[in-house]
Amino acid sequence: MPKKKLAIYTATGCPACENTLLDINYDMVSLTSNTDIVFWPYLQGSEWETLDEYGPVDLCILAGAVRTEADRNAVIRLRSSSRLMLAIGSCACFGGLPALCDLSAGMSDSRPGDTDSGNKYLLPKMEPTVCAPCQIVNIDYFTPGCPPTRDLLWSAIQSLLSLGANTPKIAFAASRLPQAIADSVTAGILPRPGSIFAGEKAVCATCSRTKEEKKFDAFFRTHQIDPASGRCLLEQGILCQGLATREGCGGICTAAGAPCRGCFGRTEKVFDPGAKMVSAVSSTFNSTDPKELKNVADSFVDLAGTFYRYTLATQCALMAPNSEDSNNAPDNS
Amino acid sequence: MKGFEPKLIAFLCNWCSYVAADAAGVARFVQKPNVRVIRVFCSGMVDPSYVIKAFASGADGVLVAGCHPGDCHYLAGNIKALRRSFLLRKLLAELGVDQQRFRLEWIAASESPLYAKVVNEMVEEIRNLGPFISKAKKLSKGGA
Repeated sequence: MPKKKLAIYTATGCPACENTLLDINYDMVSLTSNTDIVFWPYLQGSEWETLDEYGPVDLCILAGAVRTEADRNAVIRLRSSSRLMLAIGSCACFGGLPALCDLSAGMSDSRPGDTDSGNKYLLPKMEPTVCAPCQIVNIDYFTPGCPPTRDLLWSAIQSLLSLGANTPKIAFAASRLPQAIADSVTAGILPRPGSIFAGEKAVCATCSRTKEEKKFDAFFRTHQIDPASGRCLLEQGILCQGLATREGCGGICTAAGAPCRGCFGRTEKVFDPGAKMVSAVSSTFNSTDPKELKNVADSFVDLAGTFYRYTLATQCALMAPNSEDSNNAPDNS
Repeated sequence: MKGFEPKLIAFLCNWCSYVAADAAGVARFVQKPNVRVIRVFCSGMVDPSYVIKAFASGADGVLVAGCHPGDCHYLAGNIKALRRSFLLRKLLAELGVDQQRFRLEWIAASESPLYAKVVNEMVEEIRNLGPFISKAKKLSKGGA
């Protein structure tokens, strides 16, 4: 069997997603035994020409959001030269943290043609809004997370690269994936385009903390309180987004006492993560007095930045530029 | 803005506000025709996502109206609506929706003049504000 060709690239984002690939450790070595990584600027310093040289690649692993014209061109170019495209990380799946700059007007001001002091480098032109790659080109599969968990990412790559081949490896990968994807992967069929390699329920389903009655009078930021172990964080007054967020991570943040920040995006049943959180959080308010309610509501800081921390560009109904026709955004089935 | 007709979505509670709206029509109060009424069984069932979806689908304003506190057919549904409204207003403001575009009102079945007044007031306020354009659309227009 000829070796499969792989391209890995990050647009606007941090190197955490690519570092997660390296975190796969020895498995990464086994990956290279049946795959050629032909394009990986982060590790190999690959030039764009190598991509043309090696012809179309079998799988392109794309991380990062689209913020500049250079990102847009890169995404289009990678799409045209790869058979399958897997978006990894919240930036590539939903727009991620970079998209938060759209909340303040003027943060994305284009300054085309700006150069550094030595007039050597040209700043790429800024896009009017930050968007996710799936709003520009067709993305086949998504592995969300900031960064994606190692196991999930490995399962996704493994199942896309050795589909229907290497049975023990596939069985291992399938055991970590949602049923529908696992079934098609073991049968040797590509999962439905647009599939998300993560769970289907909310993070609360895998969270180890006990949920009792949710009522609180005051809201705390994470540095203001040391949460009691074993009890739901939202009940303790910490803004935990587990109930609006897709599971798959295994509840690792909440287990460590950190509230869920929503990096897996919304679950299928949630229309808008912010609206869901407003509804959930408000229902925990104890008071019925408008004045008191207003005071509690005023104690919250940066709601939009919290509820849409990773998803502003694609899943916020009021910010996604073409929410009505974004048929390729993950999770719109 | 010339010739701009605001689109107002009104979620009216079946037991009070919807009856008031009905009565306002029967009593022939002058009302702006910019309202699209959606009858719901209780203002408490109007999830924040309904409001956000209304704005995302092109509404220029959203009115949620229910029974006065204490009068709820389901005991405390309107209180639930009230609880949500504060955070929702805050979130909407952060997403670039002007405060006047979202209103929560208590209108009893007998208060049909009040219904007409609220609707007329709101339509005029929104007419002055102009159409609702989301932040993202503003940004794409400005940059492109």
